[in-house]
Amino acid sequence: MNWNKLIRTVFLVDLFQGLAVTFRNQNPKNIVTEQYPAQRPTIAPQFRGAPVLNMNPETGETLCNACGLCALSCPEKLIVVKSERDEATKKKVLTEFTFDTSRCMFCGICEEACQSDAIELSKAFEMASYSRDGQVWDRKKLEDGHHPPQFKA
Amino acid sequence: MTQTAETYLDKTELVLNMGPQHPSTHGVLRVILKLDGETVNGTDCVIGYLHRGIEKLAEARTYPGFAPYVDRLDYIAAVSNSMAYCLTVEKLIGAEVPARAQAVRVILTELNRIASHLLWLGTHALDIGAITPLFLTMREREFVLDIYERYFGARLTTHAFRIGGLPRDIYDGFQKDVLDFCDYFIPKVDEYAQLLTGNRIWVDRLTGVGVLNVADCKAYGVTGPMIRAAGLAWDLRKALPYSGYEQYDFNIPTCENGDTFDRYIVRMEEMRESVKICRQAVANLPDGPVMGKVARVLKPPIGEAYVGIEAPKGELGFYIVSDGTTNPYRVRVRPPSFINLQALDKMSKGALVADLVAIIGTLDIVLGEVDR
Amino acid sequence: MNPKPPATMQTTPWESELTSRLTERYGQAISEFSAYLGQNFLIAEPDAVPDLLEFLRDEEEFDMLTDLTAVHFPKREEQFEIVYILYSFSQNVRLRVKTRIKEGQKPQTVVPVHPTANWMEREVYDMFGIEFAGHPDLRRILMPDDWTGHPMRRDSALSNMDERWVQENLGIESGH
Repeated sequence: MNWNKLIRTVFLVDLFQGLAVTFRNQNPKNIVTEQYPAQRPTIAPQFRGAPVLNMNPETGETLCNACGLCALSCPEKLIVVKSERDEATKKKVLTEFTFDTSRCMFCGICEEACQSDAIELSKAFEMASYSRDGQVWDRKKLEDGHHPPQFKA
Repeated sequence: MTQTAETYLDKTELVLNMGPQHPSTHGVLRVILKLDGETVNGTDCVIGYLHRGIEKLAEARTYPGFAPYVDRLDYIAAVSNSMAYCLTVEKLIGAEVPARAQAVRVILTELNRIASHLLWLGTHALDIGAITPLFLTMREREFVLDIYERYFGARLTTHAFRIGGLPRDIYDGFQKDVLDFCDYFIPKVDEYAQLLTGNRIWVDRLTGVGVLNVADCKAYGVTGPMIRAAGLAWDLRKALPYSGYEQYDFNIPTCENGDTFDRYIVRMEEMRESVKICRQAVANLPDGPVMGKVARVLKPPIGEAYVGIEAPKGELGFYIVSDGTTNPYRVRVRPPSFINLQALDKMSKGALVADLVAIIGTLDIVLGEVDR
Repeated sequence: MNPKPPATMQTTPWESELTSRLTERYGQAISEFSAYLGQNFLIAEPDAVPDLLEFLRDEEEFDMLTDLTAVHFPKREEQFEIVYILYSFSQNVRLRVKTRIKEGQKPQTVVPVHPTANWMEREVYDMFGIEFAGHPDLRRILMPDDWTGHPMRRDSALSNMDERWVQENLGIESGH
């Protein structure tokens, strides 16, 4: 007759040990829940979020040289780059840039392919829109960056 | 007295649909049950609700361009999928991955194993009825996902590795983050054991349920923790090592009976072993480049290769046929969840419906991999 | 100037005690023993495959069928290549067995030898249209049961998929 085992069985020792774990985690200093949206989350700098087209900080002009590498390397072929050749410098100048975020899987291949640091996946992630057309971003939207309206109580 | 046709009520067998929308089927899995009262006489799985044609898509993408799609197979363990794919393509092109990249790959893949087993534990316990482990395991998972966010830029669909190495070198503080997580995590595994391993309800629900012995596992092609729980100490990281696993010292946990409780013990022990591997890899991280010499435009010579790795679910393999162009000719994914799910019929014959939920949970299936 | 890459797979011949035993038993039914990148494979006649797999399982200890799949080469006369990837636990080696069949040919099933081939052969049937003679339950597994067409064939594409099914069951025009 194993008394230890009998006592453990009758007095539900194993169940109470489990309950002890549950109650230990009720301690307020163990709570890890982030109160989003009141508390903004910390996003890592590397985060692959909404795309942006970067501008040269000194001249204010776009860094994109319309090479089209991002469009070529995108697995979903959702980037459209239109350009025209400047007569004076004989270089390509960007005219239109369309990015369809509804099909984007945020893989970052366009960001890696870009040689001039123009297209970048920023830290913005709240990208809801009211219509499907709102998900197709043109050059202006990409250059302005994605700043969704925030409402505070 | 005329003979009346047999009515439905005369039969003792009930055909019940455990439909695609079900909290315990871990995704869109439909199981048609033939029940005699509460006992399961047979099951028929209907899958394909998450079929996205990934193998067909591969034919229209370049080799590096297909890498993000590979994460979507077993979406819980995206880094393992990336590892398997990159290893196969590297074999095809004959690329050498530098030692530093291999070590970092090992660290991230082992963290992925921990994350996958944590999610498995939480959801499996939830199916059985224990709700607390879900919240605790999700909390631990968050720390792993934070490390992924700081390194890759994404938490779940990481687009982890590049063909030939890593996308970038580790960030400052990566080693500290990994070691801090390892120190934080081991007491948590003890906590889960305190919650579950001795718990009489857990033990009674899981022992003797879904027994699959080694011969059955080999016949059904079942690999991973399921064959280790049956008793065979076989792990592809030791048998056919890849990415420098031969340098690390770790054990292969096994059990004897091959039932659901043994699989739980094996996966818990695997989490501890993964922490061991992470600590060793971080301590011996070599210096050097993180990307091998790989052409800009990848055109492997005509040929084919199959490479299998030890993913958290089992043996994940890629069989890639190349025709010399930039796009692969055929990419075949050997999905461990799909092949393990075949054994459901064998494991659930004669079980009760409540046991069926435990069996589906212990198979550790992810429908993204079952259906591709 | 880089030389043109070769137009066929650069295999090396593979010879070992296993290949001599297999040649002794099967003779002409196995047409090639090769290796590519260190991975051994052999090409056998489709009729010999179930017996070959049984021999490999019982006598040569290749006890697990890791994978069963098919590849479609529409330009070849024997369009489909069925690939069986085997693994031996005791010797810790992998082996690929390949066989080539024509369109419409029905290879014999290997489910009696390796029960795991059940769903694998169903998937090959679903994706490529190859029917396996003697399979206990040959029906579609990933695509819907009443789908027409076999998606993984090289000539199947989004442009010629089963639009009727999409219209009937989902009520939408599939957009391209």
